[in-house]
Amino acid sequence: MEFISLLQYAAPVALAAMGEVVTQRGGVINIGLEGAMLIASFFAMLVCYTTHSPYLGLVAGVGTGVATAGLFGFFAIILAADQVVVGTAVNLLALGLTGTLFRSKFGQSGQLLSVGRIPAWHGVDPLMVLMLLSVPALWFLISRTGWGLAVRACGEYPKAADASGFSVNRLRMQALLIGGIYAGLAGSYLALVITGSFAENMTAGRGFVAIAMVTFGRWKPQFAFLAALLIGFAESLQYKFQTYGWKVPFQLMIALPYLIALVVLVLVGRGASSPGSLGQPYRKEK
Amino acid sequence: MNLKRFLPLMAVLFVAGCGSGDSSSNDKNDVKSVSSDSDKAKFKVALLTPGPVSDSGWNALAFDGLQAIKSEMGATVDQKESSGTKIADDMRTYAQQHYNVVFGHGFEYNEPAMKVAKDFPDTVFVTSSGGGTAKNVGAFRFDLEEGFYIAGYMAALMSKTGTIGSVSVQNYPSIVSTLKAYAAGAKAAKPSIGVLPPVYFGVEGNIAAAKSATEQVIAQGADFVIHQANSAAQGVFDACKEKKVYAFGSNANQNSNSSGVVIGSAVIITKTPFKELADAVKRKVYTGAIGEYAMANDSIDFVLNPDLLKQVPTDVQTKIKDLASDIKSGKVKVPKDKF
Repeated sequence: MEFISLLQYAAPVALAAMGEVVTQRGGVINIGLEGAMLIASFFAMLVCYTTHSPYLGLVAGVGTGVATAGLFGFFAIILAADQVVVGTAVNLLALGLTGTLFRSKFGQSGQLLSVGRIPAWHGVDPLMVLMLLSVPALWFLISRTGWGLAVRACGEYPKAADASGFSVNRLRMQALLIGGIYAGLAGSYLALVITGSFAENMTAGRGFVAIAMVTFGRWKPQFAFLAALLIGFAESLQYKFQTYGWKVPFQLMIALPYLIALVVLVLVGRGASSPGSLGQPYRKEK
Repeated sequence: MNLKRFLPLMAVLFVAGCGSGDSSSNDKNDVKSVSSDSDKAKFKVALLTPGPVSDSGWNALAFDGLQAIKSEMGATVDQKESSGTKIADDMRTYAQQHYNVVFGHGFEYNEPAMKVAKDFPDTVFVTSSGGGTAKNVGAFRFDLEEGFYIAGYMAALMSKTGTIGSVSVQNYPSIVSTLKAYAAGAKAAKPSIGVLPPVYFGVEGNIAAAKSATEQVIAQGADFVIHQANSAAQGVFDACKEKKVYAFGSNANQNSNSSGVVIGSAVIITKTPFKELADAVKRKVYTGAIGEYAMANDSIDFVLNPDLLKQVPTDVQTKIKDLASDIKSGKVKVPKDKF
């Protein structure tokens, strides 16, 4: 039971991180991941609230997650704009948009919402199973399929992929949208499985943590997943530590998971495993 | 990455984005240079809050007070999120637009208010807690500690495990003070009661973290949990529901929460103080002072959930009532931090 609860709290970061691995292997850093998750959370909650169906909520969450990733892709891939700038804009847009819509729907002074959740069997919900299945599936997709090879080529040396007859931008867009699906799942998981609720800025930086987990996990879905679990474990541990009443500022306790991540990163940090063209837009005529 | 080229754009986007969360548009506030006489004649009240007013907690209360001023006094009102170095600028902006009252909802607004008020004698600045006063600067002090004291008292009387706890967003001085009162109330009822140290989850709105933190508090044996979680309170209530323990609501009356575990709420009633103050300014009789708002003047209350009243033994109910009247009459002194 303890382990299942750990899986549950780690799932949003784990799902988003695994999707982001696929995106980054194609050479795109989706800094707007946080925004995609937040928008997915909001619409998953909103649709579930209005239709009373968490499954329709899930569809809405995944749909808006993909759409937000698509918006990022339109600027960052098709228009070849700077990925950090576009991602930052997407995050701010998401915060403003969800905040405004939340207030217009539920009143300026807000509400503590409670919507239906996706049913679970002994704490195991369908999305958790999907997450566990995604670990080998995404590994296979990236490492053992022709599509995965082509995507990796786009991330390492896009000119070579281009010369081999692949459309770099199309492949990158596909990888980005897969990341979008997982961002949508992550946001929906937060709204429809863990909390059954929504509040402004509910994702609270999980998208950024997921991006860090990709680096932490050396751009491999299985390691990103484990990294997210480790962070999730450290997080639940620090709440326990707080109840012990040690004379340590709680901010330090909350930072504990990230300190652990940093230490691990320093220890395993050798070897350049990041995609060679990560973050660089591809222009054909250059 | 040639990031440098985009830095100006990033800055612009950032500024634009920051504003987008506000309920009132910033553009509107910036039109201020020419103010007509009719503009001056209207009674105008502004509110600065540290966080979103949609938090169903601290900020929402102030917003409700502002709305009461608007609907019952016909005042023009505006609200804005403001923190850090922005506070003084925002106060100046409102004062230049001839706002009669500028509320700052937190102790951190008091110091900037003292500075800005010197330049704008026609505007009254009022902050929620904070010690500085001047001719046109004053403060509210909401003694929510009294509500928390009663909650702790009740929890200690009813706890079966002998342990109670709390989950809060941050260790703001106002929050810490209420949690101390909660512990003091519990000890007053039952010296042997175990009060877990406060647990904080850090970020406003992080419902999942609030839930996870609450689960840990319950795992340590707490069967009554109070919160200062604002918009993330649902996470606290849901964890209590799943583990079948009781929760207390805070700031607003949260007894009717769908979780069905909120056995009572420690409540601030802001409507009266906000309106009284605005009224005093309007009649030009306001003098800067620190207004104490407590149970004695019906601004703080502890409300039992009528739906769960059967769960509360009658002798506990009587004791709570007696305690409330003792606090009102001043017979019981509830500890309060100065901030």
